[in-house]
Amino acid sequence: MPGIKLYIGIWLGLVIATVMEVVVRSLPGGASLIVLVISLIASAKAVVIALYYQHLRYDGIRLSALPIAAVIGIVFLAVSAAMTITMGM
Amino acid sequence: MKEDVQTEENKSSFVPLIIAAGVAVLLLGLAIYIPLIVAGLVIITAALFKLFKDGASEKYAERKQIEEEKYPLESVSKEKLGLWIFLASEILIFGSLITAYLYVRISSGSWPVATQTHNVILGMTNTIILLTSSLTMILGLYSIRLGNVKGLKICLGSTFALGLAFLGIKLGIEWPALISSGFTINSGLPASSYFVLTGLHAVHVAVGLVAVGYLMFRASMGGFTSSKHVAVENIGLYWHFVDIVWMFLFPLFYLI
Repeated sequence: MPGIKLYIGIWLGLVIATVMEVVVRSLPGGASLIVLVISLIASAKAVVIALYYQHLRYDGIRLSALPIAAVIGIVFLAVSAAMTITMGM
Repeated sequence: MKEDVQTEENKSSFVPLIIAAGVAVLLLGLAIYIPLIVAGLVIITAALFKLFKDGASEKYAERKQIEEEKYPLESVSKEKLGLWIFLASEILIFGSLITAYLYVRISSGSWPVATQTHNVILGMTNTIILLTSSLTMILGLYSIRLGNVKGLKICLGSTFALGLAFLGIKLGIEWPALISSGFTINSGLPASSYFVLTGLHAVHVAVGLVAVGYLMFRASMGGFTSSKHVAVENIGLYWHFVDIVWMFLFPLFYLI
């Protein structure tokens, strides 16, 4: 099991990333770029929580297959929905 | 041999089936006959009481699995595997709703600016509160693994207080302010999608608070030791999942 310093360090990183999201929102720039950066930060935060606080990093890749499969299912749903919008189906 | 079979039978729980039946009755009540909701809640409460009672003795954690049962997850207990299957289903629920939200938002001609509708500072504060509650939760597990019961109690109490603070800000400050400004669940797709997604998330936080309250009760009764703390780990996994969901809801509704 990781040490207490790692847990606190991860928490600090997550808080800084949250503040960064808010700061990025107010920066000048294209809306698409801002959405992309905020989405990447949010996804990175989620992955870090799953890997370290939920211990997926230490429980092995086979257990990770469960949430990954669920996420793949959702991505498939999202892509299908996006295609429906863009192709007017 | 007969004694062995009897022991194995005793370690099979029927409680999940009762909970499923209770949920079915509750949903049936929502759909066709409101009083059935009460019946569903009674069934669920009774089953949860039995579940907590069984959980207090960790009777289902005692059974040793044979190697064939463990494949392909030899290093993972069946309790944790069950919890992860549940969390995978939760990913599908929230993922479907978020996808539907994105679909509606992208295909709509106009959408209110997030920062003009929602209070970014309150949203960021709640995000940090939830992140901190995840930290206290994992530190609680860390403590009890070292046999530090007092540390576990402090961490669980902190997690509970932070969860309450999250709900207090959400339901006591943000929602009343939005509703008084005319942003209600009936005022259009932006509002209804916001209230449905954050409301479902708030329900999950509330369920998590009940679970953490249960852990606090068990900890106060001396129910956890360095070698007996399966419930702390599994309820922690659920709490962190609720945290992860908010990591997406916050930017979706407050920033983008």
